[in-house]
Amino acid sequence: MIITRAVTVLLEDHLITFTRAVGLLRRRNLPVRSLAVGPTVTPGVSRLTIMIQSDEPTAERAVQHLQKVVGVRAAAAFPARDGVTRELALVKVRASGERYGELLDVVQLYHASVVDDSPDAVIVELTGSEAFVLSCIRALERFDVLEVARSGAVALELGLTEAGTRVPANI
Amino acid sequence: MGDQLTGSQILCRALLEEGVDVLFGYPGGAIMPFYHALPEYPGLRHVLVRHEQAAAHAADGWARATGRPGVCVATSGPGATNLVTGIATAHMDSTPLVAITGQVPRAMIGRDAFQETDIIGITQPITKHSRLVDDVEELADAVHEVFAVAREGRPGPVLLDVPKDVQNQKLEDPGPRARGPVSADHREGLVGRPTATALLEAARLIARAERPLIMAGHGIILSDAYEELRGLAERTGIPVITTLLGISAFPEAHPLHLGMPGMHGEVHVNRAIQQADLIVGVGLRFDDRVTGNLAAFARGAKVVHIELDRSEIGKNVPVTVGLVGDARAILRELLEVLAPRHCDAWRAEIETFVRPRPESFKGGLSPEGILESLEGASRGRCTVVSDVGQHQMWVAKLFRYQRPNTHITSGGLGTMGFAVPAAMGVVLARPGEPVWAISGDGGFQMNMQEIATMVQERIPVKMAIFNNGYLGMVRQWQQFFHGRRYSATPIWSPDYVRLAEAYGIPGWRVEHGGQVEPALQGALDHDGPALIEFLIEQEANVFPMIPPGASLSEPIESEAVTA
Repeated sequence: MIITRAVTVLLEDHLITFTRAVGLLRRRNLPVRSLAVGPTVTPGVSRLTIMIQSDEPTAERAVQHLQKVVGVRAAAAFPARDGVTRELALVKVRASGERYGELLDVVQLYHASVVDDSPDAVIVELTGSEAFVLSCIRALERFDVLEVARSGAVALELGLTEAGTRVPANI
Repeated sequence: MGDQLTGSQILCRALLEEGVDVLFGYPGGAIMPFYHALPEYPGLRHVLVRHEQAAAHAADGWARATGRPGVCVATSGPGATNLVTGIATAHMDSTPLVAITGQVPRAMIGRDAFQETDIIGITQPITKHSRLVDDVEELADAVHEVFAVAREGRPGPVLLDVPKDVQNQKLEDPGPRARGPVSADHREGLVGRPTATALLEAARLIARAERPLIMAGHGIILSDAYEELRGLAERTGIPVITTLLGISAFPEAHPLHLGMPGMHGEVHVNRAIQQADLIVGVGLRFDDRVTGNLAAFARGAKVVHIELDRSEIGKNVPVTVGLVGDARAILRELLEVLAPRHCDAWRAEIETFVRPRPESFKGGLSPEGILESLEGASRGRCTVVSDVGQHQMWVAKLFRYQRPNTHITSGGLGTMGFAVPAAMGVVLARPGEPVWAISGDGGFQMNMQEIATMVQERIPVKMAIFNNGYLGMVRQWQQFFHGRRYSATPIWSPDYVRLAEAYGIPGWRVEHGGQVEPALQGALDHDGPALIEFLIEQEANVFPMIPPGASLSEPIESEAVTA
């Protein structure tokens, strides 16, 4: 079934390792929706989260190929609905004086926050699922959106799982 | 103690510690410090090729013949990029290759310096691993790491990029180091062991199947599992199919040997696959040239897939049981739990699938005849290195390989120009036996400059050219699928006998059957490289042929169906 799936990868935090992992996604022609990378609590190890739109065998194959990359410590895949997925977005909006209050209402409605309030434009910070972030950006589009920076999603699977601990059932 | 060593000296010493005794390479600006140090290490024989691509193929040939990493060396920029085809060839066929490239000095990296290329970036999708050495302190470890990666698990090519100033950097002599396991944590998850349940399930399927087949690939050769494969076949009576790279993994005179499958497989082999109820695939990746149309491949068969690389299991063909690990180890474990059985009824049925080979050649000089004479002249004791195209299929199918790993070819990438340089590596690995480089007139002309290397380095490759005046396989496809429009496939050749003469080696032109054996004998008797040109029929075809995209059940068997 083609659904959104998260592929999470723990890898050494060298650019070359990251390049290899990401290059592999391109080379294997994987349907990537977003990428996010950042440090973990282990020094020298980063976590790469790849959201893909695929069936299960494709996601498993991505995991197996990623596990072969030198510098990748672990990789795992799970359906996005079996985990918690969060994305952060910063949206720079211009709202003229009379619509400023209206903007604040929208921000409040989405439990977002204004993190910068410059005279010309405000920056709104939103966090949530991909759908939530998209819906919020759409709501903000009734104002003058100048720039949007989205982080790409990070995800954790529910329950007692750890990247790279499962193998396909027939092996 | 207290002695200073340069990076180049450390590199040479690390190569010796890895057991390297021959390297194929070509010097240039950014690798000069290494070449400066090289004469101090007489244990490292350097073979100067005429083009870096040949260095990579020769190292690949050496690796395929020995099972140990082959080493090629080039300078930065064009030297490094010339290696690319050879590295990709090794990558597709899982051969352990270590490419060492010079790089511009560290301070100049990223500034588009003279002869700078991002060779790590360029080769990233075709290497198993690559490493730019940042400092002489890490050089020895980097060498040992890349060798370990090339060798361990599913073998493959690696690249070590060494900036020129790192080669010149000095370091207090750390003393010789013992080779230790390198970066074992990286390999985790790569090589596994099958669970007992999976093994027993595979054994149960093998015991119960009525129409089982073994499909053996390169993995048998890579893991030295000849005895175990033979053991499995003889214990169970299951016929053995060998893929292009699996050829010579199983003796062809053995009654259980069936042949090569796929696009140019014999009809009875492909038909057996289509009728099978179980396929035991060992060390192969179910490549599209093997399976034909996947949707129609072996529809009635369950598949047991024994494979070192877990990502291959289920990649192309749905697998009932996957056994991940070394082919030899798994076959041994399987043999412990398998009871003897036979497949006599099934083998008799396969016999009925056998079709007489259609007469595909006119005149007295057929590929069959040439290869039969070649086998006779070498008394079967030779290694055959083939190029890519029609002759490759003839060499794969018409020579009876009896000894392990005596057929070497570029399977996955299908690299024309492979045979001549790769054979140089094979000769150095197997000095005691004749090594034939068999090419078409197209592929031969891609790397024929290497005759100079053979002469200078005294590498006695026996070269055979199947000259039909065409890029034959492409012409064959044009005949069948492009309305006989022979676009850009007629190819002119020089006078090969005079070419041989120019290089100072003996050459023969063979135009009819009677000249075959004297030429072969002359080439074999000559103590050095020798060349024979066989003028074969211009429009001979390779039959049978599965059209691209068709299933194994839809072979073209003769000219009769030509469009």
